[in-house]
Amino acid sequence: MTRLTATTSILALSLASAAPLWAEAPEKTEVLNTYADIAAAGYGDSLTTARALQEAVAALIADPSEANLAAARAAWIDARVPYQQTEVFRFGNAIVDDWEGKVNAWPLDEGLIDYVDASYGGATDENGFAVLNVVANPKFTLSGQEVDASDITPALLAETLHEADGVEANVATGYHAIEFLLWGQDLNGHAAGAGDRPWTDFASGEACTNGNCDRRAAYLKAATDLLVSDLDWMAAQWASDGAARATLLSDEDAGISAMLTGMGSLSYGEQAGERMRLGLMLNDPEEEHDCFSDNTHNSHYYDGLGVQNVYLGAYTRVDGSKVEGPSLADLVAAQDAALDAEMQAKLSTTMDALGALKSAADGGFSYDMMLERGNDKGEALIMGGVNGLIDQTRSIERVVAALGVDGIAFEGSDSLDNPEAVFQ
Amino acid sequence: MKHWLARAVFCLALPGAALADVADLDGAVDGHILPGFRALSQSTGALARTAQDHCAPEDAALRQAYGQAFDDWIKVSHLRFGPSEEEGRAFALAYWPDPRSKTPKALGQLMAEADPVAENAARYADVSIAARGFYALEYLLYDPEFSGDLPAPQAGYRCQLIQAVTADMAATAAVIWQGWDGDYAARLRAPGENDTYRTEAEAAQQLFTALSGGLEFTSAMRLGRPMGTFDRPRPQRAEARRSGRSLRHVVLSLEAMRELTGYLAAGAPDVAQGLDAAFAKALAEAEALDDPIFAEVATPQGRLHVEVLQQAVEEIRHSLAEDLGPRLGIAAGFNALDGD
Repeated sequence: MTRLTATTSILALSLASAAPLWAEAPEKTEVLNTYADIAAAGYGDSLTTARALQEAVAALIADPSEANLAAARAAWIDARVPYQQTEVFRFGNAIVDDWEGKVNAWPLDEGLIDYVDASYGGATDENGFAVLNVVANPKFTLSGQEVDASDITPALLAETLHEADGVEANVATGYHAIEFLLWGQDLNGHAAGAGDRPWTDFASGEACTNGNCDRRAAYLKAATDLLVSDLDWMAAQWASDGAARATLLSDEDAGISAMLTGMGSLSYGEQAGERMRLGLMLNDPEEEHDCFSDNTHNSHYYDGLGVQNVYLGAYTRVDGSKVEGPSLADLVAAQDAALDAEMQAKLSTTMDALGALKSAADGGFSYDMMLERGNDKGEALIMGGVNGLIDQTRSIERVVAALGVDGIAFEGSDSLDNPEAVFQ
Repeated sequence: MKHWLARAVFCLALPGAALADVADLDGAVDGHILPGFRALSQSTGALARTAQDHCAPEDAALRQAYGQAFDDWIKVSHLRFGPSEEEGRAFALAYWPDPRSKTPKALGQLMAEADPVAENAARYADVSIAARGFYALEYLLYDPEFSGDLPAPQAGYRCQLIQAVTADMAATAAVIWQGWDGDYAARLRAPGENDTYRTEAEAAQQLFTALSGGLEFTSAMRLGRPMGTFDRPRPQRAEARRSGRSLRHVVLSLEAMRELTGYLAAGAPDVAQGLDAAFAKALAEAEALDDPIFAEVATPQGRLHVEVLQQAVEEIRHSLAEDLGPRLGIAAGFNALDGD
């Protein structure tokens, strides 16, 4: 990596003192290994915390109670912390992107899974199965096929129900399906409060509320088991002999490109655009990423932190230990110290803004309240995050230009390479 | 989740010196961007004024003004940066696609409650984007659920709603125009003298990203959404099918992006020629298509025709990345469609 561009000369003058100019560039392979180590640790932590969730769910099903439901919910919230920090690996790593829909698909038409409030409506133009309610219906017809759902198994969820009828909103698996089963619909609109499913929805015999408690429990168990096995698979892909790591390391420049692509795509199109700004402008609490549990502020915060982790080459594990090593920041600093300072400053600005959002929500100003029409304070908090993310994307583009990474010029889109794949 | 999108993977860094000879930034600003946003501001203004006196959904003058303004939007709909990105203005004008049918829900709720927010166009800017802009107005003018005969009080509210929506659109387009006419055009014209565009490469990359993202939108959304899959085509997902404008939008967007491409490739005649031919081919495919709202995608033959057009659009995108990008020494940056 020797080529230089003149793109940052202005900043170089103004910020040149921000980092040592004699910094030695790390090898790209070292940077990529740090990245893969962080991914392995992140998916490993996601797996560990999902196993804790699995145990909590088993306890809830064996002995339904208010306390056991609360414990399962707490385990779900904990499991989101490491997982959200892995979202940055999704874009740029095809192996992650192709898999991600199984574990984190969103938004969902939850009426596919279980009972919903009348205000939810029925089947729509877009989704004929929006109120299928598998929990209540052991037999149904799906796209002309009779389906026997008397046993609710991971296979039924993954192979038959997930994205049923080719509709993405038919989310049958993953964190958000589990979230819905633990919390139920959030019917509070823009007011405070998350979903309020009673623990008796999992009770046996006459204590059972809303019917089919055994099938609901079976669904929750199947979805949680599936989450654990899916995370187990992904953690293995990043192990020392894993396919994701091997692909990443097979071409250094393409690997660095993948890191930056993940940072930029998550920052801009996904988080700033689709998840935060669009949700805000729709004033719609359904647009919350973790809408049943009111955990959206944490979801956004840890997504942002994942981007910063990748740049700084450091990740704090759930047990408090740290994974760190030669980083993109080192690579950039060796070439253009001012640009590195700019990048780090912008990532910090974003994390400050997302931190303010998180604190406000933790303090009781929940994300769905912020989304309400005319709520200027909420809008300002959310837009602080959006603006930070948009602004850091510009700097990520500058880093791409400065590193001059030889990637693949045009990766091609599914729609070109395989038109049938467009909306699969 | 969606997996259709091309991941921008970067390849970079030819010397910047070649750039000035290739991209005509002044031409792009003066010949494409400014006239486009000026026209949009004027025609949305005309639409809002027309709605003051003509607010019946089937009114010919209202529909004509709507069509003109919508045309003008499509011609700049790929320019989603700067003033149209700020404060989400492009979303306020154009919330589509709408995969969860939020637009009819939001309008239905306003109508059911006769929400007084429609009394004032400035306040209307606080309403959900699902009930603002061209696609919401299309429901009010062309969807039988909203545009049909209504009892007097509801018809009166609908009239007020149409006036509020159009006035809000005019205000949004005017602010975008002021942003361009103010200092944003100057920033793009004089990279290096501002912090938005520090080099010519950054300015050219912005336009290149807009083109690449715009072509992706036309390919994956305007064409890809109604195509659905072979087994499950989705003609009801065609853009603006209620007003019969689906194919028209493909044509208008391609024509506009062809114009911008000409400026971006001005100093590389061989590349410019190849790209222009690729646009001509896609436009010829579009014009040969006798299917204004892509209803025919429901049949294998009809779907194939749309697919051929989509391939032609993808070929432009490919040539942009493979031929023009290297000549400019840039690759597309991140666009709004990156994500799921």
